[in-house]
Amino acid sequence: MEYLIHIAILISIYGILGLSLNLVVGFTGLLSITQAAFYGIGAYTTAILLTGTGMNFFLAMILGMVISGVCSLAIGFVLSKFKDDYYALGSFGFNVIIYSIFLNWQSLTRGPLGIPGIPRPSLFGFTFSENIWFLLLSIIFLILVYFVCRFITGSSFGRVLKSIREDEEAISVFGYRTLWYKLAIFVISAMMASIAGSLFASYITFIDPSSFTLSESIFILAIIILGGLANNKGAMIGAACLILLPEILRFVGFPDDIAAQMRQVTYGVILILLMLYRPQGLVGEYKL
Amino acid sequence: MVNMDIIPQLILNSIIAGAIYSMIALGFNLIYGTTKFFDLGYGALSAVGGYSVFYFYKTLGLDLYVSIVLGILIAGTIGLIVYKSVYSKLRERKSSGMVLMVAALGVLTALQAIIAILFTSQFQTLSQSAGSERIFNILGGVITQTQLITLLIGLVIMTIIGLVFRYTLFGKAVKAIGDDEEVSKIVGINTEKIVSWVFFFGSAIGGLAGILIGFDTGIEPTMGLSLLLKGVIACIIGGIGNVYGGVLGAFLLAFIENFGIWQISGEWKDAIAFVVLIIFLLFRPQGILKR
Repeated sequence: MEYLIHIAILISIYGILGLSLNLVVGFTGLLSITQAAFYGIGAYTTAILLTGTGMNFFLAMILGMVISGVCSLAIGFVLSKFKDDYYALGSFGFNVIIYSIFLNWQSLTRGPLGIPGIPRPSLFGFTFSENIWFLLLSIIFLILVYFVCRFITGSSFGRVLKSIREDEEAISVFGYRTLWYKLAIFVISAMMASIAGSLFASYITFIDPSSFTLSESIFILAIIILGGLANNKGAMIGAACLILLPEILRFVGFPDDIAAQMRQVTYGVILILLMLYRPQGLVGEYKL
Repeated sequence: MVNMDIIPQLILNSIIAGAIYSMIALGFNLIYGTTKFFDLGYGALSAVGGYSVFYFYKTLGLDLYVSIVLGILIAGTIGLIVYKSVYSKLRERKSSGMVLMVAALGVLTALQAIIAILFTSQFQTLSQSAGSERIFNILGGVITQTQLITLLIGLVIMTIIGLVFRYTLFGKAVKAIGDDEEVSKIVGINTEKIVSWVFFFGSAIGGLAGILIGFDTGIEPTMGLSLLLKGVIACIIGGIGNVYGGVLGAFLLAFIENFGIWQISGEWKDAIAFVVLIIFLLFRPQGILKR
């Protein structure tokens, strides 16, 4: 039971990450591979504030979102100058830079040693120390994020995003300042990823830079490509599939280290097969 | 306080790193220049080359040179197989660059993990015994024999590619495809065959780079990605699709990286490289040399 709760918490956290990235990649058509950077900023902000100042988790989460938002505004501004492949490459760059900061700003992040002993969230004297309560908390956040995403993508703002994806020039001829739209959605997406980071840090109670590498960003991208681009439910389905997959491999009887590599092989192969035979993913509404 | 004594070593380190980056850049540039696609899977082929030699030379105990030739051929062949089974089909369908890039990410992830399953993710070195290598002292800095060989091979490959492009029919066909694939097809160039060869040679160069790194420092399954990104950055700052541009960019990048960490920790190298990339993408996206 404890094991199932653990899996469900991970699925909620990656569900939030998938939903957030889908706003940028699926709905706006910008191939951003830097989501783990914002995920990491959220996690580190929470970890540092919780262990350093004993601040309330929810306040730390909001501060994490603010910091992520500010960083993403700067990053998004630079990235918005690029297109397609170059956009992806530039976003790679930011992931590597942020990762280097986690690794090297040792006075703040303790570098490769990581930050241990991050407390669980508490609210009005109630602590979410039992995993089942933490699951409830993460599901609440997942649902919140889902409804925000649904609201955004269903609104007129969301329609502008989709038209940027289809033909940026055409929509700018109609007088829309596409730069601001692209920046806005990038910042919103980064703030959502930051929520996932806060939850992750407080759930695992330990973080180090290795959770926020470029490979993690590729994994999050794989989630939404499998689930389906430009479909909010798809992002969550993708998260569930890719989290459950390695667990199934472990049950089949592979030893742990081989199972970890098998997970990589499988999701690599999934990406290839999807691109070859079903570029819109399981339930997607948009092909890259 | 600024320590001036290490400047010769910094210069030598830059040249050594530049030699490695330029090998990666040469292969990548060849593939990109012809097909206009960011082949990120190419990174894993360096690891394929390195581990093939590890298997033949250290596990089976084959002759050193035989192992190296086999390693290069295997990297080339796997590159070709990946091209034929994945990229070629996507290109036929006129898939967008992003689709190809995501597929290439899949190739990279899968190949790296397969290597890790076969050989574990441990760091391995190819040279027989560390420290026994010949070392040359130049102006107060040191350079090892392997590093010197890497530098020479890089320059030789650059010259060969340059000459092939200039004087042979094959080179001209490759250039033509890079300029306009449709028109090349119309004038009767067998584009599919030429592009297949380009992938074979490009991958073989990538494999060779992996092997040389294996002798210099060592190999691990995930070595490819950071190596490849350096190669890509080198190509972009030097001038993507231009043979000499890639090499120029590689050395420039190596110098910036190595002098950038003069006063700070070496762990910042990757971040410096990407800052350089972003600056170039913003202000001179075509690179130093034009195609």
